[in-house]
Amino acid sequence: MNFITTGRLEDLLNDLAAKSQLIAPVREGDRCFYRPVASAGQIEWEFGKPTLPIKEYFFPATERLLEIHPVERKNGGGGVRDYQVFETLPAAEQVIFGVRPCDARGLRALDALFLNKEPADPYYARRRERTTLIGVACETLMDSCFCTTMGGAPDERRDLDILLHRSEDGFIADPVTDQGARLLTDLALEPWEGDLPDYDRPVGWVLPEKKVMLDYFDDRYWRSMAERCMSCRLCAYACPTCRCFDVRDVRLPSVTGEIAFERIRFWDSCARPGYRMIAGGHNPRAEKGERLRNRLMCKIFYYEDQCGEVGCTGCGRCVDVCPVNIDIMEVMRFFAEKQGAAT
Amino acid sequence: MMDKITQIREKVGELLASGEIDCFIGYEVGPSGRTRPVFVREAEHADRLIWGQACTHNLTRYLPELVDPAAGEEGSGRIGILVKPCDSRAIPVHLAERQYARENIYLLGVTCEGMREGAGYTADLDGELQPRCLECELSDPVLFDALIGEPVVRSNGPVDQDLETLEQVGAADRLSFWLQQFDRCIRCYACRQACPMCQCPTCLFERDDALWSSPAHRLAEKRAFHLGRAYHLAGRCVECDACQQACPMDIPIRMLNQKLAEVIQERFEHRAGYEPGASPLVTILRGEEVVG
Repeated sequence: MNFITTGRLEDLLNDLAAKSQLIAPVREGDRCFYRPVASAGQIEWEFGKPTLPIKEYFFPATERLLEIHPVERKNGGGGVRDYQVFETLPAAEQVIFGVRPCDARGLRALDALFLNKEPADPYYARRRERTTLIGVACETLMDSCFCTTMGGAPDERRDLDILLHRSEDGFIADPVTDQGARLLTDLALEPWEGDLPDYDRPVGWVLPEKKVMLDYFDDRYWRSMAERCMSCRLCAYACPTCRCFDVRDVRLPSVTGEIAFERIRFWDSCARPGYRMIAGGHNPRAEKGERLRNRLMCKIFYYEDQCGEVGCTGCGRCVDVCPVNIDIMEVMRFFAEKQGAAT
Repeated sequence: MMDKITQIREKVGELLASGEIDCFIGYEVGPSGRTRPVFVREAEHADRLIWGQACTHNLTRYLPELVDPAAGEEGSGRIGILVKPCDSRAIPVHLAERQYARENIYLLGVTCEGMREGAGYTADLDGELQPRCLECELSDPVLFDALIGEPVVRSNGPVDQDLETLEQVGAADRLSFWLQQFDRCIRCYACRQACPMCQCPTCLFERDDALWSSPAHRLAEKRAFHLGRAYHLAGRCVECDACQQACPMDIPIRMLNQKLAEVIQERFEHRAGYEPGASPLVTILRGEEVVG
């Protein structure tokens, strides 16, 4: 491990911003967001937990998958056009600074679907390969943080390329991957011999077992908790692991009159009333309680069953942003208590 | 004299016990100390209800989905709801738009000291009064079946200068201001979902067959959504600011609605929700609009 002064770190970030796309916490009004920055001067250093996770830099809210253009038809065509499909893969290298361990862990969850399930998603894979993650351990614990319950920690290094610990006048740099180590080797930094900081850790609680939640699958509790739900998409869009999307072909704007299209995929959410609607008009999750149950069961059980990673990192953003205070921690504790009472 | 919370609990307990209403929509404090909507169906649960300067949500957004005329076969089919003065303006608009019948709702009015910034999102409430509260002119709800609290004499003048300031700048700068605001939008639809007036079964901006508004999260679509929504609320918006309160990206939606409300008042002498029994603005024909 090495010590890096804030000044040297800024030099490094400026250097990275010149060579690639640097993304870092930026203050906008009362909030912080991860945004592309031109230099380290734009970075908000007291960024706490930015309102949205880093997910959008791997799984953008809208992504063009391909373009469809008319082409000249060979051997004449009697006025009939041929169309050709053009692949559009993201190209740029990116470095994300200020990543929180829970957000980085969200990528582990997304990898489980987009990389580890065949076929791998080339768009996600390309972004993932070309990204370096520089994390900062969490020195301020927030009310909604429950990473420890999900097996994480404020100083979890595993999903990052470099983990930085804040120290007096600078940071202690812990290179996690070779990619991270390479960024630091040329800097000839002083080695760090001291201890690492102590962090406040959220008090964890025991998650309910799947069996208990299945016992209560049809319980009125879901309805009573979800009755206040407004069916917006905020919980899913603020979640570092929610990855549902829809795909559609949309006509490209054209000044020449060319009739061309793009295929886009864009975020979707299971909180949307029509999300599960099937042909013929039947909706297996027409009720808000069914939709809330699905979302929470997906976080804790379904996703792990299907992809091998838990779909919640304990970042607490869904709790922070919900306008009507639907709280995953409250729901999980309710079932954990039922489980405690039963045993 | 009992405090308002005790009065609310007693009244709701009576209404539920007597069967006059099947369900009451009010506010409670969740386990983390945040204020949120609650639906009370048993008289003995009426003590969950609270009242205070964190009760910011406009609960009337739940009425169209909850009031079910067919429910009368089992219960009274009547839904009770706590309405503060600003929220109550949604009721005449709902009634005019035939969202439900007057006899199917019971309006428990409550007089209001104003809502604080941060209401609904934080346990410790020491924020400033919300802008709509600083401008509020209503001493009590426009419509109610019973009233909790004494009418409050409002002495606030207009204090929110944001709109006025924005109107001073040129059109190009104004456009760039709004595009910057809209660009933050993540199309989560929290604004629309919190709005008592956004009741379309399928939103124009989410139609599968929409030809001129794609589901992409790009600036053009975001702009179309926000401006389109504002136009659809012209003459209907009751200025409760539930949209802006729900927005996680702090988009000043209030200013759009405010501007349109001003224009509507100036041109048509109409302010949504002040006049029980008024027809929807777009159905009122006057002067040269009257044919024949």
